[in-house]
Amino acid sequence: MTNLFEGKNVIVQGITGAHGSFQTKAMLAAGTNIIAGTTPGKAGQQVEGVPVYDSITDIQRDHEVNTSVIFVPAPYAKGAILEAIAANIPLIVCITENIPVHDMLIVHQKLKDSQSTLLGPNSPGALLPGINKLGIIPASMSLKGNAAIVSRSGTLTYETMAGLTEQGIGQKYVIGIGGDVIHGMGYIECLQLFQDDPDVDQIILIGEIGGQEENAAADYIKSNVTKPVFAYIAGHHAPEGVQLGHAGAILGSAEESADVKTQKLTTAGAKTASSITDLIKLVVG
Amino acid sequence: MLGFIIHDGVAKGYILVGMKLLEYEAKQILADSNTPIPTSSLITKTSQTLPNIPTVLKSQVPTGGRGKAGGIRVIESADEIQSNIDDLFNLSIKGFIPTTLLAEERLNIKQELYLSVLIDRASSIIQLIAHIDGGIEVEDNTDFTSWSLENPVFDVIGQELADYYQLPGQTFAIQDLVENLYNCLIKNDATLIEINPLVLTADDQLIAGDCKMTLDDAASFRHDWNYEEKPTEANFVTIDPAGNIATIANGAGLAMATVDAAFEAGLKPANFLDIGGGANTETLLKAFNRIVEYTNLQAIIINIFAGITRADEVANAIVAAKQQIDNLPPLFIRLAGTNYDVAAQILTDNDITIMPNLESCLTAAKESIND
Repeated sequence: MTNLFEGKNVIVQGITGAHGSFQTKAMLAAGTNIIAGTTPGKAGQQVEGVPVYDSITDIQRDHEVNTSVIFVPAPYAKGAILEAIAANIPLIVCITENIPVHDMLIVHQKLKDSQSTLLGPNSPGALLPGINKLGIIPASMSLKGNAAIVSRSGTLTYETMAGLTEQGIGQKYVIGIGGDVIHGMGYIECLQLFQDDPDVDQIILIGEIGGQEENAAADYIKSNVTKPVFAYIAGHHAPEGVQLGHAGAILGSAEESADVKTQKLTTAGAKTASSITDLIKLVVG
Repeated sequence: MLGFIIHDGVAKGYILVGMKLLEYEAKQILADSNTPIPTSSLITKTSQTLPNIPTVLKSQVPTGGRGKAGGIRVIESADEIQSNIDDLFNLSIKGFIPTTLLAEERLNIKQELYLSVLIDRASSIIQLIAHIDGGIEVEDNTDFTSWSLENPVFDVIGQELADYYQLPGQTFAIQDLVENLYNCLIKNDATLIEINPLVLTADDQLIAGDCKMTLDDAASFRHDWNYEEKPTEANFVTIDPAGNIATIANGAGLAMATVDAAFEAGLKPANFLDIGGGANTETLLKAFNRIVEYTNLQAIIINIFAGITRADEVANAIVAAKQQIDNLPPLFIRLAGTNYDVAAQILTDNDITIMPNLESCLTAAKESIND
């Protein structure tokens, strides 16, 4: 099977909306092969020359679909993700933010028994420079190459990618897993992908306070990742119990702190930076 | 071993996203979901119908530890009530002054238990958490018992919970309680319902003695929520009111990274501020106006990587802030991304310098403060 992120037949759910149409244009400009889009009730229209269908099922009568990128507004996003799961789309990328947690609980349960992988929600998506742009990561600041970035934060992803590009270090993958509490793909799935892909020669992991996922990633790195890993955890000076922007970014127990996560990653063999500017310097070496 | 700790009366290590309700707001929702609560009335500054004696007066503030702070008072005689009401309206608890008091019947307590229903972050499922020793010392416990409520069979879980509480006579009531709480969590888009204590009264009734509830802000579009305004704002957080610099950034991660880098550079950031995607001139001006209230402020660091946010909007806001706000401390600005060229032109036309990166902003800010 080909790489999950390199599937050529991409559709956009919510293609006629403001974000959907604007980002469809940007994805097309970056070379993404968008074969169709959906918005219920708008079949027959076109967005940037891409045909609009009422449903994924209608598209699948004409095409095989590898990936769906979702821009559907939050109140309807659960329905859109469930539609993509029901249609057995291998990769579902959900950009939409502010989806209710209880909606994501339902999605999470459906995903478990499905053949689909979800990236997001509240994610900037994935960018494989020169190969595929699935979401809103600005391709103009990327460079094709062999580094791989995974992050929970959109802007820190861009910042790191642009910093590496400036230093002439290109990227095979730039992936934002999203800042929400309940989400699809996590660090471990991305680390596995990077470790297994012979094109990738170094891995950059960006995390933040809240939750335990970076700690689980550290355990995974220790036992499974042989490629060099560079890491930065944002929020070293976060006050306890206060939510910082992201729904998931809240410091509950000590285990969720930036200091502990950084320590665990260091112990696991990653090179860790104390600030984002240091991270770029660390990778450049 | 459960992967969470209890602190400040709220189960932490879980999502706490959203709106924390006051006790009386949470209890009203419980009552609407058929969970028994004490008989009660509300007292505000303008509406002071006195309750029957004896009563328990409870300050309605959005924080834990009220009992220890003197915010909960048992009133046994009619002469004490008015002075205690006045006193509670003036009592600050962890910086919060109540606008409402809850007057409840005094429960005849036989036993205090702990029970909560919440969304567990790690497993992405709803969990029921219980402890046989509830009350204000619950934080000292580590041996909580939990049940997954994924596809729950309430009769079975309720039976097991009644066994755990060693209250076989309450099995039916506990089965109902668990089912009602689960439905309440889902129906109200709550992320946490914590009943502590769950009181077993002398006449063997199970009643919610206190309740903490958090609702998911993201679901507000499908509810008609009208609760007292709470001082929770995820995107603007004061870290140190005596800090010497303020930070403005876009995106939660970049905002945290900006604060980290400022500390690393030896500066003292007063705040964390994520202006979010799609910020415009108006929201930015508002942020500037809040920031200049910090008394020790000597510099403002602005770090924007424009994606959905447009750099020219930010530039316009900076120009407007310079014109409209007196005593604005020096600005150290790093801008990149969408519409950077337009933004750079706007700032240059107004004699405002853009720095090439965050590091140079911090270095320059530090030098200007030391001068």
